[in-house]
Amino acid sequence: MADAVRLDGITKRFPGVVANDDVTLEVERGSVHALLGENGAGKTTLMNVLYGLYQPEEGRVVVDGEEQSFESPGDAIDAGVGMIHQHFMLVDTMTVAENITLGNEPRKWGWLAVDREQARREVRELSERYGFAVEPDARIETVSVGVQQRVEILKALYRGADVLILDEPTAVLTPQEVEELLAVFEELTAAGKTVIFITHKLGEAMEAADEITVLRDGKNVGSVSADDTDREALAELMVGREVLMETDARPSDPGDETLCVDGLTVEDSRGVTVVDGVSFGVRAGEVFGIAGVDGNGQSELVEAITGLREPTAGRVDFEGRDVADWSRIDHIEAGMAYIPEDRQERGLVMDFDLVENGLLGSQHASAFAAGGRIDWDRARDHAEAVVEEYDVRPPDPDARSVSLSGGNQQKFIVGREFERDPSLLVATHPTRGVDIGSTEFINDRLLDLRNAGGAVLLVSSKLDEVQMLSDRLAVMHGGELMAVVDPDDVTEEELGLLMAGEEPSRSLSSLRLAGEES
Amino acid sequence: MSWRDRVERLLARLVAASATERLAISLAALFSSILVGTLLVLVAGRMTACSSAAFVLTHPTPFGVPRLFAVGFCYDPIAVYDRLFLGALGDPFSAGWSPRNAQMAVTLRETTVLIFTGLSVAVAFRAGVFNIGTQGQLVVGGFATALTVLAAAPAVSGFVGTLTLIPLGLLAGAVGGGFYGAIPGALKAYADANEVITTIMLNFVATGVVGYLVLNQFKDPTSAATQTRALPSYADFPAVVFDPRSNFSLIALAFGISLIVAVYYLLAHTSFGYDLRTSGLQPEAAEYGGVDAARTVVASFALSGALGGLGGALYVLMILGNYQTGVPAYGFDGITVSILAGNNPVGVGFAALLFGVLKSGTTVVDFATDVPPQLVGVLRGLIILFVAMPEFFRLLGGRMDRVQRRARRLGSTAATDGGEQADDGGDRNE
Repeated sequence: MADAVRLDGITKRFPGVVANDDVTLEVERGSVHALLGENGAGKTTLMNVLYGLYQPEEGRVVVDGEEQSFESPGDAIDAGVGMIHQHFMLVDTMTVAENITLGNEPRKWGWLAVDREQARREVRELSERYGFAVEPDARIETVSVGVQQRVEILKALYRGADVLILDEPTAVLTPQEVEELLAVFEELTAAGKTVIFITHKLGEAMEAADEITVLRDGKNVGSVSADDTDREALAELMVGREVLMETDARPSDPGDETLCVDGLTVEDSRGVTVVDGVSFGVRAGEVFGIAGVDGNGQSELVEAITGLREPTAGRVDFEGRDVADWSRIDHIEAGMAYIPEDRQERGLVMDFDLVENGLLGSQHASAFAAGGRIDWDRARDHAEAVVEEYDVRPPDPDARSVSLSGGNQQKFIVGREFERDPSLLVATHPTRGVDIGSTEFINDRLLDLRNAGGAVLLVSSKLDEVQMLSDRLAVMHGGELMAVVDPDDVTEEELGLLMAGEEPSRSLSSLRLAGEES
Repeated sequence: MSWRDRVERLLARLVAASATERLAISLAALFSSILVGTLLVLVAGRMTACSSAAFVLTHPTPFGVPRLFAVGFCYDPIAVYDRLFLGALGDPFSAGWSPRNAQMAVTLRETTVLIFTGLSVAVAFRAGVFNIGTQGQLVVGGFATALTVLAAAPAVSGFVGTLTLIPLGLLAGAVGGGFYGAIPGALKAYADANEVITTIMLNFVATGVVGYLVLNQFKDPTSAATQTRALPSYADFPAVVFDPRSNFSLIALAFGISLIVAVYYLLAHTSFGYDLRTSGLQPEAAEYGGVDAARTVVASFALSGALGGLGGALYVLMILGNYQTGVPAYGFDGITVSILAGNNPVGVGFAALLFGVLKSGTTVVDFATDVPPQLVGVLRGLIILFVAMPEFFRLLGGRMDRVQRRARRLGSTAATDGGEQADDGGDRNE
């Protein structure tokens, strides 16, 4: 049987970069194929070639045994190839059925009017055939992200797609929605459809795919069957060298409390109390982790500590001084570094180049500005140093931040914040959306800072990571700290229960640490 | 999909355009606008009745070839554009042309005032606040200049008077405009009032209150017009090179150009400029970087107002010689000048010159041809529209992610928002 898709020696160049270099990819009909690779490995480019968005310089695209040369996505759709992008292309104010049939509406009265009844019926049939729980009359703005994704899939199916390409489909989903998506993949392949999905997460590829193709630097470095491989082997293929999946953390040697938060209460922008009387301390030379499901007050807690949000009650003592009502710039100058949750909104000015972005937060610091005048030569040296030391690619300080991949943007922010030589580093989701090589790098830097006697407050929703890095671990739920536990002693199940706001069966007092004297 | 594709491809091409390409685009746009305008003039000329044709469209008749057709038009498009551009410069190709001619002075006079209002708007826009109130700030600044100079004039005289009164008048204008600009800034920063609304309203307040004060408190009793007493002649901007009667001073123009350099330097090379640009591009990141948002809004509004107020001071000191009600819409033209310049201070100089030429040329066209002033207004509008549109689409494309990605693939490092990179990034890295 012919492969559903065969890409043969695809080469796609952009000025200065070879995004795909002689890539060959074979995807068996009725299978789930994962395209795995680090940020910037050329996965999305390859799929955009298959979807007709790009025309390759060299190579052949064969769909269903027929050679194709797609001029546009329209051609690809005609040939039965559909793509679901990372950012959905749905009209929020229209219903599910309207979105799915948009542009291909069933007609009545001799093509004069849209046959809404039939559209609804067809969408319902389609959604039932694949076991999707999608209500055709619901408005897009009222349904969850997971459902919106299924609407996108249905849209592709409605247009007759046999091959579905999904670009990082799990990036926007909750863990439970991920499970549902994987079930959807099974339904699709059972009906003879072929699924190709792009990911940089090893676990997902292992779990969902039949076959995994790894791209690195634009080249296909190996296609393996998911059953015949393991995480270590895949990670090595992706990164090109051996990856230590476990960071070897020496025991911490904590000193005095650098940060002491006492009875901190914070309201969000709507005036709802989202952090409710939280108290904890972070000592020099330790990583204090805060785990929790997103949206349980972690963001506001961190903003209150770093000076971006004024708390309504409580104290934030930093090196012995109450900084709760200090301005943001005072926090920075006092030696508090902050890797923000949203790098593209807060951490970087997207239209600035790296020289300018390296200055963010230091634009008034005496090291770069004397008498109100910025010393751009020094700023440039600084940016060059960060770029080199933190392996930011491309290594060009004149590159605008918006042109960097997410992982490299994050590496630059991490570098900038570490270069402040802080006594306290607050890091929120420092490795979110970052590829595995960079993740390892960032985590190592966090531990380096700790070992050098810095205090680190790490907020993350990645359980394994926060458990591995933290010396003490707090779990946040509903604006309160549920417990502070020893990360080596607690099980993932117990953490899961705490994150859900429930008490584990084991008495919590046995988990509490002596460090909780505050 | 494919039309959208094509549009995105075009936008990306624009976003990635280099400085030279953009200059070429601007020139091409200028010529296109003249072509379209020519058609309009011809059509309007056909629809009007006149005793003799100003322009006849026919073919050459060498060696007695019979004339096959000849269509007469009431307006001559060549004459219109000739007067509009060359007239504004005082006919540079005619014999005995001197760059010091009276019409050139008018052109440069308009340019000078527009540099100040254009800079005023550009500073605010770069800080991400929309100051539509430059007109009001100019009115208050001009009035403050007139009052201050009138009050101080008896104390000094002669050359010393010129040396003291002009800086004093400029200072008064800057302070007056600055304070008046700080009001909507403070309202926005501390009361969350939308600055577009407040500045528009404050324009009316300025015109109304100043008009009332002139009429009831400071009116020149010897004049029927609503105006203050005349400032002493030694408070007039000294005319250098140009005829003193032309109400234009090269010193004022030089002052304007030095302010262009100063504003450019402020934006590109100072911590305050960094704060201001960061706030304008990405307020959230500015907050993260320790920029005091409220203070930056008030400060950039005050600076913007001070620049507008300087424009008013110049209008009073250089052009009027007193304060009169009915100030021309320099402030509103400043908005167009700034947008035309992509809010880039260096560009403001060129955009102001184009505006100056068009304003001055309009009076020449009125004088020299039968073309109604409304039609000349349309031609002016066409030129501005055509020249501004590519920049506008560049700005638009720069804000669309998909276009940005395409533009990057076109392999350009010059791709920026509104051309700031060219001046911000250009020389600071030498």
